[in-house]
Amino acid sequence: MNAPAPKRLWQRFTRTRVGRSIFRVGLPESNLERSQAMVSSFLLHVQPAKVHRHALRASYSLGLGLISLYLFCILCGTGVLLMFYYVPSTDKAYDIMKDLQFVVSAGLVIRNMHRWAAHLMVLFVMLHMCRVFYTGAYKNPREFNWVLGVGLLLVTLGLSFTGYLLPWDQLAFWAITVGTSIAGYAPVVGEKLKYLMLGGHIVGQDSLTRFYALHVIVLPAIAVLMISVHLFRVRKDGGLSRPDEPGDVVEQIPLGQLPANKSYGLMELARGTTPQVGKNPEDEVFSWPHLVFRELLLFLLVTAVVLFLAIFWNAPLEEIANAVHPPNPAKAPWYFLGLQELVSYSAFWGGVVVPGLLVTALALLPYIDRKRHGVGRWFARERVVANTIFSVCVAIAVIFTVIGSLFRGPNWSWVEPWKNPPAVTEGH
Amino acid sequence: MNDSAPDKVTSRRGFFQLAFGWLAAIFAATASAAGAVRFLVPNVLFEPDQRFKAGKPDDYLDGAVTFLDDERVFIVRKGNTFRCLSAICTHLGCTVNRAGQGFHCPCHGSVFDDQGVVKSGPAPRPLDWFSVSLSKDNRLLVDKGRRVTDDKYLVI
Ligand code: HEM
Ligand code: FES
Repeated sequence: MNAPAPKRLWQRFTRTRVGRSIFRVGLPESNLERSQAMVSSFLLHVQPAKVHRHALRASYSLGLGLISLYLFCILCGTGVLLMFYYVPSTDKAYDIMKDLQFVVSAGLVIRNMHRWAAHLMVLFVMLHMCRVFYTGAYKNPREFNWVLGVGLLLVTLGLSFTGYLLPWDQLAFWAITVGTSIAGYAPVVGEKLKYLMLGGHIVGQDSLTRFYALHVIVLPAIAVLMISVHLFRVRKDGGLSRPDEPGDVVEQIPLGQLPANKSYGLMELARGTTPQVGKNPEDEVFSWPHLVFRELLLFLLVTAVVLFLAIFWNAPLEEIANAVHPPNPAKAPWYFLGLQELVSYSAFWGGVVVPGLLVTALALLPYIDRKRHGVGRWFARERVVANTIFSVCVAIAVIFTVIGSLFRGPNWSWVEPWKNPPAVTEGH
Repeated sequence: MNDSAPDKVTSRRGFFQLAFGWLAAIFAATASAAGAVRFLVPNVLFEPDQRFKAGKPDDYLDGAVTFLDDERVFIVRKGNTFRCLSAICTHLGCTVNRAGQGFHCPCHGSVFDDQGVVKSGPAPRPLDWFSVSLSKDNRLLVDKGRRVTDDKYLVI
Protein backbone atom coordinates (compact mmCIF):
# COMPACT_ATOMS: atom_id res chain seq x y z
CA MET A 1 0.00 0.00 0.00
CA ASN A 2 1.24 3.44 -0.82
CA ALA A 3 1.11 5.74 2.21
CA PRO A 4 0.49 9.46 1.59
CA ALA A 5 3.59 11.60 1.20
CA PRO A 6 3.61 13.41 4.57
CA LYS A 7 3.26 10.09 6.34
CA ARG A 8 6.12 8.56 4.36
CA LEU A 9 8.30 11.58 5.05
CA TRP A 10 7.56 11.43 8.73
CA GLN A 11 8.33 7.75 8.87
CA ARG A 12 11.60 8.31 7.09
CA PHE A 13 12.49 11.11 9.50
CA THR A 14 11.77 9.07 12.63
CA ARG A 15 14.08 6.35 11.31
CA THR A 16 17.04 8.69 11.08
CA ARG A 17 19.45 8.99 13.96
CA VAL A 18 18.14 12.44 14.93
CA GLY A 19 14.48 11.51 14.50
CA ARG A 20 14.92 8.42 16.60
CA SER A 21 16.72 10.37 19.34
CA ILE A 22 13.73 12.68 19.62
CA PHE A 23 10.75 10.44 19.09
CA ARG A 24 11.95 6.89 19.90
CA VAL A 25 8.92 5.39 18.18
CA GLY A 26 7.81 6.39 14.71
CA LEU A 27 4.23 6.21 13.58
CA PRO A 28 3.14 3.03 15.31
CA GLU A 29 2.27 0.09 13.09
CA SER A 30 1.78 -2.71 15.58
CA ASN A 31 0.03 -2.92 18.93
CA LEU A 32 3.40 -3.11 20.61
CA GLU A 33 4.47 0.12 18.95
CA ARG A 34 1.14 1.72 19.86
CA SER A 35 1.85 1.05 23.51
CA GLN A 36 5.45 2.19 23.13
CA ALA A 37 4.31 5.42 21.51
CA MET A 38 2.04 6.13 24.47
CA VAL A 39 4.63 5.47 27.18
CA SER A 40 7.64 7.05 25.50
CA SER A 41 6.12 10.42 24.66
CA PHE A 42 5.95 13.10 27.34
CA LEU A 43 2.58 14.44 26.24
CA LEU A 44 1.05 11.02 25.75
CA HIS A 45 2.41 9.17 28.76
CA VAL A 46 0.04 10.91 31.13
CA GLN A 47 -2.59 8.74 29.52
CA PRO A 48 -2.86 4.98 29.72
CA ALA A 49 -1.78 2.82 26.79
CA LYS A 50 -5.23 1.29 26.65
CA VAL A 51 -8.61 2.77 27.53
CA HIS A 52 -11.98 1.29 28.32
CA ARG A 53 -14.47 1.50 25.46
CA HIS A 54 -16.96 3.20 27.74
CA ALA A 55 -14.58 6.12 28.27
CA LEU A 56 -14.48 6.80 24.56
CA ARG A 57 -18.23 7.10 24.19
CA ALA A 58 -18.83 10.74 23.33
CA SER A 59 -22.41 10.42 24.57
CA TYR A 60 -21.13 9.66 28.06
CA SER A 61 -18.69 12.46 28.94
CA LEU A 62 -19.70 14.76 26.07
CA GLY A 63 -16.02 15.74 26.20
CA LEU A 64 -16.93 18.64 28.46
CA GLY A 65 -13.91 18.37 30.73
CA LEU A 66 -11.59 18.16 27.76
CA ILE A 67 -13.24 21.16 26.16
CA SER A 68 -12.67 23.12 29.39
CA LEU A 69 -9.03 22.05 29.31
CA TYR A 70 -8.58 23.12 25.69
CA LEU A 71 -10.22 26.47 26.36
CA PHE A 72 -7.81 26.95 29.24
CA CYS A 73 -4.89 26.25 26.89
CA ILE A 74 -6.23 28.74 24.35
CA LEU A 75 -6.59 31.29 27.14
CA CYS A 76 -2.98 30.78 28.22
CA GLY A 77 -1.73 31.18 24.65
CA THR A 78 -3.72 34.28 23.77
CA GLY A 79 -3.21 35.68 27.27
CA VAL A 80 0.56 35.55 27.00
CA LEU A 81 0.34 37.33 23.64
CA LEU A 82 -1.81 40.07 25.15
CA MET A 83 0.76 40.52 27.92
CA PHE A 84 3.29 41.71 25.35
CA TYR A 85 1.27 44.90 24.95
CA TYR A 86 -0.79 45.29 28.08
CA VAL A 87 0.38 47.53 30.92
CA PRO A 88 -1.56 47.47 34.19
CA SER A 89 -1.75 51.23 34.55
CA THR A 90 -4.94 53.18 35.06
CA ASP A 91 -3.62 55.80 32.64
CA LYS A 92 -2.67 53.44 29.86
CA ALA A 93 -4.70 50.26 30.08
CA TYR A 94 -7.76 51.53 28.22
CA ASP A 95 -5.75 53.11 25.41
CA ILE A 96 -3.86 49.87 24.97
CA MET A 97 -7.15 48.01 24.56
CA LYS A 98 -8.03 50.46 21.81
CA ASP A 99 -4.62 49.91 20.22
CA LEU A 100 -5.18 46.18 20.30
CA GLN A 101 -8.49 46.73 18.55
CA PHE A 102 -7.38 49.14 15.89
CA VAL A 103 -3.61 49.24 15.54
CA VAL A 104 -1.92 45.97 16.42
CA SER A 105 -1.93 43.33 13.68
CA ALA A 106 -4.31 40.53 14.65
CA GLY A 107 -4.75 42.29 18.02
CA LEU A 108 -8.49 42.41 17.61
CA VAL A 109 -8.81 38.71 16.89
CA ILE A 110 -6.49 37.70 19.70
CA ARG A 111 -8.31 39.86 22.20
CA ASN A 112 -11.64 38.51 20.95
CA MET A 113 -10.39 34.94 21.24
CA HIS A 114 -9.25 35.55 24.78
CA ARG A 115 -12.59 37.02 25.76
CA TRP A 116 -14.80 34.45 24.05
CA ALA A 117 -12.71 31.54 25.26
CA ALA A 118 -13.08 32.92 28.80
CA HIS A 119 -16.87 33.06 28.51
CA LEU A 120 -16.95 29.59 27.00
CA MET A 121 -14.69 28.19 29.68
CA VAL A 122 -17.02 29.35 32.45
CA LEU A 123 -19.93 27.82 30.54
CA PHE A 124 -18.21 24.52 29.84
CA VAL A 125 -16.83 24.09 33.34
CA MET A 126 -20.40 24.49 34.60
CA LEU A 127 -21.73 22.02 32.03
CA HIS A 128 -18.94 19.59 32.89
CA MET A 129 -19.97 19.78 36.53
CA CYS A 130 -23.58 19.03 35.57
CA ARG A 131 -22.44 16.04 33.51
CA VAL A 132 -20.43 14.69 36.41
CA PHE A 133 -23.42 15.13 38.68
CA TYR A 134 -26.02 13.54 36.43
CA THR A 135 -23.79 10.51 35.81
CA GLY A 136 -23.06 10.08 39.53
CA ALA A 137 -19.37 10.22 38.68
CA TYR A 138 -18.41 11.91 41.96
CA LYS A 139 -18.95 8.78 44.03
CA ASN A 140 -16.30 6.58 45.58
CA PRO A 141 -13.42 6.61 44.67
CA ARG A 142 -13.81 9.96 42.89
CA GLU A 143 -15.01 12.07 45.84
CA PHE A 144 -11.85 14.09 46.13
CA ASN A 145 -11.67 14.75 42.41
CA TRP A 146 -15.09 16.34 42.65
CA VAL A 147 -13.84 18.56 45.47
CA LEU A 148 -10.87 19.54 43.31
CA GLY A 149 -13.41 20.30 40.60
CA VAL A 150 -15.34 22.65 42.88
CA GLY A 151 -12.03 24.41 43.52
CA LEU A 152 -11.43 24.63 39.79
CA LEU A 153 -14.87 26.16 39.26
CA LEU A 154 -14.01 28.86 41.80
CA VAL A 155 -10.60 29.46 40.22
CA THR A 156 -12.24 29.75 36.80
CA LEU A 157 -14.68 32.35 38.12
CA GLY A 158 -11.80 34.13 39.87
CA LEU A 159 -9.85 34.29 36.62
CA SER A 160 -12.82 35.83 34.82
CA PHE A 161 -13.45 38.32 37.59
CA THR A 162 -9.85 39.50 37.78
CA GLY A 163 -9.61 39.49 33.99
CA TYR A 164 -12.36 41.91 33.29
CA LEU A 165 -10.94 44.62 35.50
CA LEU A 166 -7.90 44.85 33.26
CA PRO A 167 -9.37 46.85 30.30
CA TRP A 168 -10.21 49.62 32.77
CA ASP A 169 -13.53 50.37 31.12
CA GLN A 170 -16.82 51.14 32.79
CA LEU A 171 -17.74 47.46 33.24
CA ALA A 172 -14.34 46.82 34.75
CA PHE A 173 -14.46 49.66 37.19
CA TRP A 174 -17.97 49.17 38.50
CA ALA A 175 -17.82 45.39 38.55
CA ILE A 176 -14.80 45.64 40.83
CA THR A 177 -16.41 48.33 42.96
CA VAL A 178 -19.46 46.14 43.47
CA GLY A 179 -17.54 42.86 43.73
CA THR A 180 -15.11 44.02 46.40
CA SER A 181 -17.97 45.68 48.30
CA ILE A 182 -19.68 42.29 48.43
CA ALA A 183 -16.51 40.86 49.97
CA GLY A 184 -16.81 43.68 52.52
CA TYR A 185 -20.03 42.14 53.82
CA ALA A 186 -18.29 38.90 54.85
CA PRO A 187 -18.55 38.46 58.62
CA VAL A 188 -15.63 39.60 60.80
CA VAL A 189 -12.93 39.81 58.12
CA GLY A 190 -15.08 41.59 55.48
CA GLU A 191 -13.70 45.12 55.68
CA LYS A 192 -10.11 43.88 56.02
CA LEU A 193 -10.55 41.58 53.06
CA LYS A 194 -11.87 44.41 50.93
CA TYR A 195 -8.94 46.61 51.93
CA LEU A 196 -6.54 43.80 51.06
CA MET A 197 -8.16 43.18 47.66
CA LEU A 198 -8.17 46.84 46.68
CA GLY A 199 -4.83 47.67 48.26
CA GLY A 200 -6.55 50.70 49.80
CA HIS A 201 -10.01 52.18 50.17
CA ILE A 202 -10.76 53.04 46.58
CA VAL A 203 -10.64 51.24 43.26
CA GLY A 204 -7.46 52.68 41.77
CA GLN A 205 -3.97 51.90 40.58
CA ASP A 206 -3.22 49.65 43.55
CA SER A 207 -6.30 47.58 42.86
CA LEU A 208 -5.40 47.22 39.20
CA THR A 209 -1.87 46.10 40.08
CA ARG A 210 -3.21 43.50 42.46
CA PHE A 211 -5.82 42.13 40.10
CA TYR A 212 -3.22 41.98 37.35
CA ALA A 213 -0.84 39.89 39.46
CA LEU A 214 -3.69 37.58 40.42
CA HIS A 215 -4.88 37.28 36.83
CA VAL A 216 -1.62 36.63 35.02
CA ILE A 217 0.30 34.52 37.51
CA VAL A 218 -1.31 33.57 40.82
CA LEU A 219 -4.60 32.15 39.58
CA PRO A 220 -3.24 30.56 36.37
CA ALA A 221 -0.51 28.85 38.39
CA ILE A 222 -3.08 27.52 40.85
CA ALA A 223 -5.26 26.41 37.93
CA VAL A 224 -2.41 24.57 36.21
CA LEU A 225 -1.54 22.76 39.43
CA MET A 226 -5.11 21.83 40.19
CA ILE A 227 -5.89 20.74 36.63
CA SER A 228 -2.79 18.53 36.66
CA VAL A 229 -3.86 16.84 39.87
CA HIS A 230 -7.44 16.61 38.56
CA LEU A 231 -6.34 14.77 35.41
CA PHE A 232 -3.88 12.62 37.35
CA ARG A 233 -6.71 11.60 39.62
CA VAL A 234 -9.03 10.77 36.73
CA ARG A 235 -6.46 8.17 35.71
CA LYS A 236 -5.57 6.95 39.20
CA ASP A 237 -9.22 6.61 40.15
CA GLY A 238 -9.52 4.04 37.38
CA GLY A 239 -10.20 6.14 34.31
CA LEU A 240 -13.58 7.63 33.55
CA SER A 241 -16.40 6.36 35.71
CA ARG A 242 -18.52 3.59 34.24
CA PRO A 243 -21.22 1.25 35.47
CA ASP A 244 -19.95 -1.45 37.80
CA GLU A 245 -19.32 -4.79 36.17
CA PRO A 246 -19.08 -8.08 38.06
CA GLY A 247 -15.29 -8.21 37.69
CA ASP A 248 -14.87 -4.66 38.98
CA VAL A 249 -15.38 -5.29 42.63
CA VAL A 250 -12.03 -6.74 43.54
CA GLU A 251 -11.15 -7.87 46.98
CA GLN A 252 -7.82 -6.51 48.09
CA ILE A 253 -5.76 -8.82 50.22
CA PRO A 254 -3.99 -7.09 53.11
CA LEU A 255 -0.23 -7.13 52.74
CA GLY A 256 0.46 -9.49 55.63
CA GLN A 257 -1.87 -12.16 54.27
CA LEU A 258 -0.51 -12.45 50.75
CA PRO A 259 0.26 -16.07 49.88
CA ALA A 260 3.99 -16.60 50.27
CA ASN A 261 4.48 -18.99 47.37
CA LYS A 262 4.56 -16.24 44.77
CA SER A 263 6.69 -13.17 44.10
CA TYR A 264 5.08 -9.77 43.81
CA GLY A 265 5.83 -6.70 41.73
CA LEU A 266 5.93 -3.23 43.27
CA MET A 267 2.74 -2.21 41.42
CA GLU A 268 0.87 -5.09 42.95
CA LEU A 269 1.97 -4.25 46.44
CA ALA A 270 1.17 -0.58 46.02
CA ARG A 271 -2.24 -1.17 44.49
CA GLY A 272 -3.21 -4.26 46.44
CA THR A 273 -3.88 -6.16 43.21
CA THR A 274 -2.00 -6.71 40.00
CA PRO A 275 -2.62 -3.98 37.44
CA GLN A 276 -4.60 -6.45 35.35
CA VAL A 277 -7.14 -7.47 37.99
CA GLY A 278 -10.60 -6.18 37.21
CA LYS A 279 -9.75 -5.46 33.62
CA ASN A 280 -11.21 -7.32 30.74
CA PRO A 281 -8.96 -7.06 27.68
CA GLU A 282 -12.05 -7.36 25.51
CA ASP A 283 -13.33 -4.03 26.87
CA GLU A 284 -10.21 -2.10 26.14
CA VAL A 285 -8.79 -0.55 23.03
CA PHE A 286 -5.45 1.05 22.32
CA SER A 287 -5.27 4.73 23.18
CA TRP A 288 -3.35 5.24 19.99
CA PRO A 289 -5.21 5.95 17.78
CA HIS A 290 -8.66 5.68 19.38
CA LEU A 291 -8.26 8.17 22.23
CA VAL A 292 -5.49 10.34 20.81
CA PHE A 293 -7.30 10.88 17.54
CA ARG A 294 -10.52 11.91 19.25
CA GLU A 295 -8.70 14.30 21.52
CA LEU A 296 -6.93 15.92 18.61
CA LEU A 297 -10.17 16.26 16.70
CA LEU A 298 -11.92 17.85 19.65
CA PHE A 299 -9.03 20.27 20.13
CA LEU A 300 -9.26 21.36 16.50
CA LEU A 301 -13.00 21.75 16.80
CA VAL A 302 -12.75 23.91 19.95
CA THR A 303 -10.05 26.09 18.41
CA ALA A 304 -12.08 26.48 15.24
CA VAL A 305 -15.19 27.54 17.14
CA VAL A 306 -13.28 30.09 19.22
CA LEU A 307 -11.59 31.46 16.11
CA PHE A 308 -14.92 31.65 14.31
CA LEU A 309 -16.52 33.59 17.16
CA ALA A 310 -13.49 35.87 17.40
CA ILE A 311 -13.55 36.70 13.71
CA PHE A 312 -17.24 37.51 13.51
CA TRP A 313 -17.99 39.03 16.91
CA ASN A 314 -16.01 41.66 18.75
CA ALA A 315 -15.45 41.47 22.48
CA PRO A 316 -17.21 44.34 24.23
CA LEU A 317 -15.25 47.33 25.44
CA GLU A 318 -17.31 49.92 27.23
CA GLU A 319 -16.41 53.55 27.70
CA ILE A 320 -13.30 54.38 29.67
CA ALA A 321 -13.71 53.95 33.42
CA ASN A 322 -15.51 56.87 35.01
CA ALA A 323 -15.06 56.78 38.75
CA VAL A 324 -18.07 59.03 39.30
CA HIS A 325 -20.89 57.64 37.19
CA PRO A 326 -21.72 53.98 36.87
CA PRO A 327 -23.46 53.02 33.64
CA ASN A 328 -27.18 52.62 34.12
CA PRO A 329 -27.92 49.75 34.52
CA ALA A 330 -24.47 48.54 35.57
CA LYS A 331 -24.45 44.87 34.67
CA ALA A 332 -21.90 42.16 35.37
CA PRO A 333 -21.14 39.51 32.72
CA TRP A 334 -23.82 36.85 32.32
CA TYR A 335 -22.32 34.33 34.74
CA PHE A 336 -22.51 36.82 37.60
CA LEU A 337 -25.94 38.22 36.77
CA GLY A 338 -27.70 35.59 38.89
CA LEU A 339 -25.53 36.72 41.78
CA GLN A 340 -26.21 40.37 40.99
CA GLU A 341 -29.95 39.64 41.04
CA LEU A 342 -29.54 37.95 44.44
CA VAL A 343 -27.49 40.86 45.73
CA SER A 344 -30.22 43.26 44.68
CA TYR A 345 -32.36 41.78 47.46
CA SER A 346 -29.65 41.79 50.10
CA ALA A 347 -25.89 42.10 49.87
CA PHE A 348 -25.26 39.96 52.92
CA TRP A 349 -27.74 37.17 52.23
CA GLY A 350 -27.44 37.18 48.47
CA GLY A 351 -23.75 37.96 48.21
CA VAL A 352 -22.25 36.07 51.14
CA VAL A 353 -24.63 33.57 52.75
CA VAL A 354 -26.27 31.96 49.70
CA PRO A 355 -23.06 31.58 47.61
CA GLY A 356 -21.17 30.43 50.70
CA LEU A 357 -23.74 27.74 51.47
CA LEU A 358 -23.91 26.65 47.83
CA VAL A 359 -20.15 26.17 47.55
CA THR A 360 -20.03 24.33 50.89
CA ALA A 361 -22.87 22.04 49.84
CA LEU A 362 -21.16 21.32 46.51
CA ALA A 363 -17.85 20.52 48.18
CA LEU A 364 -19.46 18.21 50.75
CA LEU A 365 -21.79 16.53 48.28
CA PRO A 366 -19.76 13.35 47.63
CA TYR A 367 -19.40 12.78 51.37
CA ILE A 368 -23.13 13.23 51.94
CA ASP A 369 -24.46 11.21 49.01
CA ARG A 370 -22.46 8.04 49.50
CA LYS A 371 -24.62 5.24 48.17
CA ARG A 372 -22.77 3.48 45.40
CA HIS A 373 -25.48 3.08 42.86
CA GLY A 374 -26.31 4.61 39.54
CA VAL A 375 -22.69 5.46 38.75
CA GLY A 376 -21.71 5.70 35.11
CA ARG A 377 -25.14 6.23 33.58
CA TRP A 378 -26.97 9.43 32.76
CA PHE A 379 -30.05 10.14 34.92
CA ALA A 380 -29.98 6.74 36.62
CA ARG A 381 -33.39 5.82 38.12
CA GLU A 382 -31.78 5.06 41.47
CA ARG A 383 -30.58 8.65 41.71
CA VAL A 384 -33.87 10.31 41.03
CA VAL A 385 -33.95 12.20 44.35
CA ALA A 386 -30.43 13.59 44.03
CA ASN A 387 -30.99 14.46 40.38
CA THR A 388 -34.24 16.26 41.15
CA ILE A 389 -32.71 18.35 43.92
CA PHE A 390 -29.76 19.27 41.71
CA SER A 391 -32.01 20.11 38.76
CA VAL A 392 -34.14 22.39 40.91
CA CYS A 393 -31.00 24.26 42.05
CA VAL A 394 -29.77 24.55 38.46
CA ALA A 395 -33.18 25.78 37.33
CA ILE A 396 -33.26 28.43 40.05
CA ALA A 397 -29.76 29.58 39.09
CA VAL A 398 -30.80 29.80 35.44
CA ILE A 399 -33.98 31.71 36.28
CA PHE A 400 -32.08 34.25 38.38
CA THR A 401 -29.51 34.64 35.60
CA VAL A 402 -32.21 35.17 32.98
CA ILE A 403 -34.00 37.72 35.17
CA GLY A 404 -30.76 39.58 35.80
CA SER A 405 -29.80 39.51 32.12
CA LEU A 406 -33.05 40.30 30.37
CA PHE A 407 -35.63 41.58 32.83
CA ARG A 408 -33.63 44.30 34.54
CA GLY A 409 -33.33 47.78 33.09
CA PRO A 410 -32.24 51.20 34.32
CA ASN A 411 -32.03 51.40 38.12
CA TRP A 412 -32.36 47.61 38.14
CA SER A 413 -36.10 48.07 37.66
CA TRP A 414 -38.23 45.31 36.18
CA VAL A 415 -38.47 45.56 32.39
CA GLU A 416 -39.94 43.25 29.83
CA PRO A 417 -37.34 42.59 27.17
CA TRP A 418 -39.89 42.59 24.37
CA LYS A 419 -40.83 46.18 25.17
CA ASN A 420 -38.62 49.23 24.69
CA PRO A 421 -36.79 50.04 27.91
CA PRO A 422 -37.91 53.21 29.66
CA ALA A 423 -35.72 56.21 28.91
CA VAL A 424 -33.28 57.19 31.63
CA THR A 425 -34.05 60.72 32.70
CA GLU A 426 -32.06 60.96 35.88
CA GLY A 427 -28.62 62.39 36.19
CA HIS A 428 -26.91 65.14 37.97
CA MET B 1 18.82 1.68 70.29
CA ASN B 2 15.82 -0.33 69.38
CA ASP B 3 13.52 1.87 67.33
CA SER B 4 11.56 -0.97 65.89
CA ALA B 5 10.37 -2.28 69.24
CA PRO B 6 7.13 -4.10 68.47
CA ASP B 7 5.11 -2.43 71.25
CA LYS B 8 5.82 1.02 69.69
CA VAL B 9 6.40 2.77 73.00
CA THR B 10 7.74 6.25 72.31
CA SER B 11 10.85 7.03 74.25
CA ARG B 12 11.08 10.35 76.05
CA ARG B 13 13.74 11.51 73.66
CA GLY B 14 11.67 10.39 70.66
CA PHE B 15 8.69 12.28 72.01
CA PHE B 16 10.63 15.51 72.41
CA GLN B 17 12.20 15.16 69.00
CA LEU B 18 8.81 14.67 67.42
CA ALA B 19 7.15 17.47 69.38
CA PHE B 20 9.95 19.88 68.63
CA GLY B 21 9.92 18.96 64.95
CA TRP B 22 6.21 19.56 64.62
CA LEU B 23 6.26 22.77 66.61
CA ALA B 24 9.10 24.12 64.48
CA ALA B 25 7.29 23.18 61.26
CA ILE B 26 4.00 24.73 62.41
CA PHE B 27 5.77 27.85 63.59
CA ALA B 28 7.65 28.26 60.30
CA ALA B 29 4.50 27.78 58.25
CA THR B 30 2.42 30.19 60.34
CA ALA B 31 5.14 32.83 60.41
CA SER B 32 5.62 32.70 56.65
CA ALA B 33 1.90 32.91 55.99
CA ALA B 34 1.46 35.76 58.46
CA GLY B 35 4.43 37.59 56.97
CA ALA B 36 3.09 37.23 53.45
CA VAL B 37 -0.38 38.47 54.41
CA ARG B 38 1.02 41.36 56.38
CA PHE B 39 3.23 42.26 53.42
CA LEU B 40 0.12 42.59 51.28
CA VAL B 41 -1.55 45.09 53.63
CA PRO B 42 -0.29 48.49 52.53
CA ASN B 43 1.06 50.79 55.24
CA VAL B 44 1.01 54.01 53.25
CA LEU B 45 -1.74 55.02 50.86
CA PHE B 46 -1.48 57.57 48.12
CA GLU B 47 -5.16 58.34 48.08
CA PRO B 48 -6.69 61.81 47.72
CA ASP B 49 -7.21 63.77 50.92
CA GLN B 50 -10.59 63.15 52.51
CA ARG B 51 -10.96 66.89 53.19
CA PHE B 52 -11.65 69.35 50.44
CA LYS B 53 -12.82 72.90 49.95
CA ALA B 54 -16.17 73.18 48.26
CA GLY B 55 -16.08 76.85 47.26
CA LYS B 56 -17.89 79.85 48.66
CA PRO B 57 -21.20 79.36 50.45
CA ASP B 58 -22.84 81.72 48.02
CA ASP B 59 -21.93 79.50 45.08
CA TYR B 60 -24.89 77.40 46.18
CA LEU B 61 -28.47 78.47 45.63
CA ASP B 62 -30.92 78.44 48.47
CA GLY B 63 -32.84 75.14 48.47
CA ALA B 64 -30.48 73.53 45.95
CA VAL B 65 -28.95 70.06 46.12
CA THR B 66 -25.70 70.34 44.18
CA PHE B 67 -23.66 67.36 43.01
CA LEU B 68 -19.87 67.72 43.14
CA ASP B 69 -18.51 65.36 40.51
CA ASP B 70 -14.97 64.83 41.71
CA GLU B 71 -15.95 64.29 45.31
CA ARG B 72 -19.12 62.23 44.83
CA VAL B 73 -21.10 64.29 47.34
CA PHE B 74 -24.14 66.56 47.35
CA ILE B 75 -24.03 69.97 49.01
CA VAL B 76 -27.46 70.66 50.48
CA ARG B 77 -28.31 74.28 51.21
CA LYS B 78 -31.46 75.39 52.97
CA GLY B 79 -31.63 79.08 53.91
CA ASN B 80 -28.28 79.73 55.51
CA THR B 81 -27.66 76.15 56.59
CA PHE B 82 -25.26 73.82 54.78
CA ARG B 83 -24.90 70.08 54.91
CA CYS B 84 -23.02 67.53 52.82
CA LEU B 85 -24.57 64.20 51.76
CA SER B 86 -22.54 61.30 50.41
CA ALA B 87 -23.53 60.12 46.92
CA ILE B 88 -22.02 56.67 47.52
CA CYS B 89 -24.72 54.06 47.84
CA THR B 90 -24.44 52.22 51.14
CA HIS B 91 -25.28 48.96 49.39
CA LEU B 92 -22.28 48.26 47.18
CA GLY B 93 -20.74 51.59 46.40
CA CYS B 94 -22.29 52.89 43.16
CA THR B 95 -23.00 56.62 42.77
CA VAL B 96 -26.64 57.51 43.35
CA ASN B 97 -28.49 59.85 40.99
CA ARG B 98 -30.83 62.67 41.95
CA ALA B 99 -34.40 61.58 41.23
CA GLY B 100 -37.28 63.90 42.11
CA GLN B 101 -36.80 64.91 45.74
CA GLY B 102 -34.70 61.84 46.56
CA PHE B 103 -31.99 59.63 45.10
CA HIS B 104 -31.90 56.49 42.98
CA CYS B 105 -29.05 54.00 42.73
CA PRO B 106 -28.58 52.61 39.22
CA CYS B 107 -26.86 49.40 40.30
CA HIS B 108 -29.48 47.49 42.28
CA GLY B 109 -32.29 49.98 42.51
CA SER B 110 -32.05 51.37 46.05
CA VAL B 111 -34.22 54.47 46.56
CA PHE B 112 -33.40 57.14 49.14
CA ASP B 113 -35.47 60.16 50.20
CA ASP B 114 -34.19 63.73 50.38
CA GLN B 115 -32.68 63.00 53.84
CA GLY B 116 -30.78 59.99 52.52
CA VAL B 117 -33.11 57.55 54.29
CA VAL B 118 -33.69 54.24 52.49
CA LYS B 119 -37.20 54.08 51.01
CA SER B 120 -36.75 50.77 49.20
CA GLY B 121 -34.15 48.48 47.74
CA PRO B 122 -31.23 46.56 49.23
CA ALA B 123 -29.26 49.43 50.81
CA PRO B 124 -28.81 48.53 54.49
CA ARG B 125 -28.46 52.06 55.93
CA PRO B 126 -29.04 55.71 55.01
CA LEU B 127 -26.56 57.69 52.94
CA ASP B 128 -23.79 59.22 55.05
CA TRP B 129 -23.66 62.89 56.06
CA PHE B 130 -20.24 64.46 56.26
CA SER B 131 -19.02 67.25 58.51
CA VAL B 132 -19.07 70.75 56.95
CA SER B 133 -17.24 73.72 58.43
CA LEU B 134 -16.00 77.08 57.27
CA SER B 135 -12.35 77.61 56.46
CA LYS B 136 -10.43 80.77 57.39
CA ASP B 137 -10.81 82.11 53.88
CA ASN B 138 -14.58 81.63 54.04
CA ARG B 139 -14.90 78.47 51.99
CA LEU B 140 -16.98 75.43 52.81
CA LEU B 141 -14.69 72.75 54.19
CA VAL B 142 -15.96 69.17 53.92
CA ASP B 143 -14.34 66.24 55.70
CA LYS B 144 -15.40 62.92 54.17
CA GLY B 145 -13.51 61.15 56.90
CA ARG B 146 -15.92 62.49 59.53
CA ARG B 147 -19.48 61.24 59.46
CA VAL B 148 -22.10 63.25 61.31
CA THR B 149 -25.81 62.82 62.05
CA ASP B 150 -28.30 64.42 59.69
CA ASP B 151 -29.13 67.20 62.18
CA LYS B 152 -25.65 68.77 62.11
CA TYR B 153 -25.64 71.96 60.07
CA LEU B 154 -23.15 74.60 59.25
CA VAL B 155 -25.02 77.85 59.86
CA ILE B 156 -23.74 81.00 58.22
C1 HEM C 1 -10.86 24.08 34.94
C2 HEM C 1 -11.87 23.30 35.03
C3 HEM C 1 -11.88 21.78 34.75
C4 HEM C 1 -11.14 21.05 33.85
C5 HEM C 1 -10.09 21.57 32.86
C6 HEM C 1 -11.55 19.67 34.00
C7 HEM C 1 -11.05 18.61 33.24
C8 HEM C 1 -11.52 17.31 33.31
C9 HEM C 1 -11.25 16.29 32.34
C10 HEM C 1 -10.43 16.47 31.05
C11 HEM C 1 -11.87 15.14 32.76
C12 HEM C 1 -11.94 13.83 31.99
C13 HEM C 1 -13.37 13.51 31.60
C14 HEM C 1 -14.13 14.52 30.79
O1 HEM C 1 -13.59 15.08 29.83
O2 HEM C 1 -15.30 14.75 31.16
C15 HEM C 1 -12.51 15.44 34.03
C16 HEM C 1 -13.21 14.53 34.83
C17 HEM C 1 -13.82 14.84 36.05
N1 HEM C 1 -14.07 16.12 36.55
FE1 HEM C 1 -13.27 17.80 35.78
N2 HEM C 1 -12.50 19.58 35.01
C18 HEM C 1 -12.74 20.85 35.48
C19 HEM C 1 -13.66 21.20 36.45
C20 HEM C 1 -14.42 20.29 37.18
C21 HEM C 1 -15.52 20.65 38.06
C22 HEM C 1 -16.06 22.07 38.26
C23 HEM C 1 -15.96 19.47 38.63
C24 HEM C 1 -17.07 19.27 39.64
C25 HEM C 1 -17.36 20.07 40.62
C26 HEM C 1 -15.14 18.39 38.11
C27 HEM C 1 -15.25 17.05 38.49
C28 HEM C 1 -14.74 16.00 37.75
C29 HEM C 1 -14.88 14.59 38.09
C30 HEM C 1 -15.54 14.01 39.37
C31 HEM C 1 -14.32 13.86 37.02
C32 HEM C 1 -14.28 12.34 36.86
C33 HEM C 1 -15.48 12.03 36.01
C34 HEM C 1 -15.60 10.58 35.65
O3 HEM C 1 -14.73 9.79 36.03
O4 HEM C 1 -16.59 10.27 34.97
N3 HEM C 1 -14.24 18.91 37.22
N4 HEM C 1 -12.28 16.79 34.35
S1 FES D 1 -24.94 49.77 44.90
FE1 FES D 1 -26.68 50.98 45.16
S2 FES D 1 -28.25 49.56 45.11
FE2 FES D 1 -26.49 48.32 44.97
